[in-house]
Amino acid sequence: MIELAHFQLLGAALFAIGVYGVLARRSAVLVLMSIELMLNAVNLNLIGYAAFMDFTEAQRALGQVLVIFVITIAAAELALAVAIILRLYRNRSSVNMDEIDLMKW
Amino acid sequence: MIGIESAWLIPTLSAAAFVVVALAGRWLPMRGAFISIAAALLGFVLFWFALADLMRNGDGAFSVNWLVLGDLTITWGVIVDRLSVTMLGLVTFVALLVQVYSIEYMRGEPRFGWYYAAHALFAAAMLTLVLADNLVFLYLAWELVGLGSYLLIGFWHEKRPAAEAAKKAFITTRIGDVGLLIGIILLYRATGTFDITGVIHAVENGLEAGLVSQGTVNAALFLIFLGAMGKSAQFPFHVWLPDAMEGPTPVSALIHAATMVAAGVFLVARLMPLFEMAPAVLLVVTCVGLFTFAFAGTLALVMTDLKRALAYSTISHLGLMMLSLGAFGMAAAMLHLLAHGVSKAMLFLGAGSVTHGTGKTDMREMGGLWRKMPITAITFTIGAASLAGVAPFSGFFSKEEVLRAVLEHRHPIFLVLTLAASFLSALYMGRVTFMVFFGRNRSGAEHAHESPWLMTTPLLLLAPFALALGLITFGWSDAYPGFGSFLTGEDRHGLDPWLIGVSNGIVIGSVITLWAWYKGSQASDDFDTEAYPTRARAPAWWRQANRVLVNKYYVDEACQWLIDRVVLALGRFVALFDRIVVNDTAVDGPAVSVMLSALRVRYIQSGRIYTYAMAMAIGIVSLALLWWLAP
Repeated sequence: MIELAHFQLLGAALFAIGVYGVLARRSAVLVLMSIELMLNAVNLNLIGYAAFMDFTEAQRALGQVLVIFVITIAAAELALAVAIILRLYRNRSSVNMDEIDLMKW
Repeated sequence: MIGIESAWLIPTLSAAAFVVVALAGRWLPMRGAFISIAAALLGFVLFWFALADLMRNGDGAFSVNWLVLGDLTITWGVIVDRLSVTMLGLVTFVALLVQVYSIEYMRGEPRFGWYYAAHALFAAAMLTLVLADNLVFLYLAWELVGLGSYLLIGFWHEKRPAAEAAKKAFITTRIGDVGLLIGIILLYRATGTFDITGVIHAVENGLEAGLVSQGTVNAALFLIFLGAMGKSAQFPFHVWLPDAMEGPTPVSALIHAATMVAAGVFLVARLMPLFEMAPAVLLVVTCVGLFTFAFAGTLALVMTDLKRALAYSTISHLGLMMLSLGAFGMAAAMLHLLAHGVSKAMLFLGAGSVTHGTGKTDMREMGGLWRKMPITAITFTIGAASLAGVAPFSGFFSKEEVLRAVLEHRHPIFLVLTLAASFLSALYMGRVTFMVFFGRNRSGAEHAHESPWLMTTPLLLLAPFALALGLITFGWSDAYPGFGSFLTGEDRHGLDPWLIGVSNGIVIGSVITLWAWYKGSQASDDFDTEAYPTRARAPAWWRQANRVLVNKYYVDEACQWLIDRVVLALGRFVALFDRIVVNDTAVDGPAVSVMLSALRVRYIQSGRIYTYAMAMAIGIVSLALLWWLAP
């Protein structure tokens, strides 16, 4: 029987993997993928709560609508981020995050 | 009806004359001088109307509100009482004659118009001071008087000594004025009002009820007296007055007779009811006055510059007025102020006439001028006799009044010292007159000529007053019971025969001394180079004393030392403190510390995304832990 706790555990695991990816990967593409993982972990949580909590129909629908929004925004964000990464690659022939440090003192 | 309610017009006319002459004078005939003279003349005419109205109907006070600050109202107001009307007469009369005289004396001056504008400002300030009914208004006029003297003493500011003298006069009197301002504020704190009659009543009632402490009143009045000392050139603030001789001679006449130095005496006279509540301060006033009287008298003996000798004579007589005020002799002091005012105005105008005729100011180059300049010589001699206290002249009566006040209210020692010092004042006046007008002709007298009528007329107009003004001390009718009763309402008139005898004896003694000194000096050559005290056969101590006197007791040197070693040293210390503690530490310090810490802290901005992401992650985890663990 699948319960709310399973959603939460899976969500937390995915989020932790995402955080690890953002912090530890050097490739900008992998960092981007890790961010997507974190977003989807949140989506899992939203879906889990919408399904299992003692809500009215309208509230359940609201949770699911929020998930659709997140997916939409994530797609838009991804398009933008991939474009930035492409420009980055064109300019420096590398997408190594260690070398992107212009925004400092 | 023109009367005391028009008194406010007198200073206003002069102030308006100042504005018109200063702004539009250059396009007017005579560069606007006639406007300034007309204002003084109208003021003098209004004075007579005010006096007549005052004698008929009594005092009056008129005011309009100027500042209303909560409970405190400061007014532009005038008190027209016997004291202020007396001063109005003196100031307008002397200002009028001096300005008429200046037409000739200052002829051809490049800044002729500005000279008259400054004269109008000076007169307006003094007339305002005389009429002011509250201490703030009075202080304002007081400072304007200082400004007027600064402008006129430094009139020939291309000459360096004149510019320096103007600064010296302004700064020296300003030192006293600080005391005056603090004194006024102390009185305000004690009484809650600036109105002069209000302050007097409040202090009187407050002292009785114990609301105002005697110490506060003493301190306030002493500080106010400091201001009076500065303006009236009492020791040690007298240093500015001899230097002020760098100004045009008619200006000296105005300053010495009516406007500048009279202000200090007038201030004490105006606040006399307050001073009478502080006998300790009055004792200080007496002592300062007596010391200045004697001190300046000795200096006037050795000055060789005609105007400087007259300047020390003024300081000496101001000392006598202060002495009289300190001995509760307000009426005597005011009478002496009047008698001295007309006499000294005449002496200075006479000195200007001598300078005009000979082109010299050094008395050693004069002598025997009476043949060439008879009118100047006669009027000058009358003025000198009046100030020397020779019997029927006006200075004699006022001196007798002062002596009587001292006799009645002070220890006999004061009377003895005053009489001794009055010997000096007869001596130096005789010396000046003798050196300038009598004896042998010396170099300056060769081309001497009498001055034009515009200069001699004011002298002739002043002469009757110097001769006979003293007679107002007596009561002539029921309406006028004598000057003392007229001014203060006290019932006292008549002179003391014993005192008359003593002081006449002193005058005769000084004439004999003079004659003994000058006898034979006619023929000797050293008279031409130096006056009597340094004759070669004089004993050593005599020459040494003379050297001290010629160097003016080294007071200027002492002041210079004080400025160099104390004031400037303190100034340098304060400047250093400001530079190091205030500027470098307190202001620049925080800025530097922010900059230095930023040099270290900026390294946390690595520019790498990991760093920021890590900080975010740690932050979120910390917040979560906090939320979870915290109760």
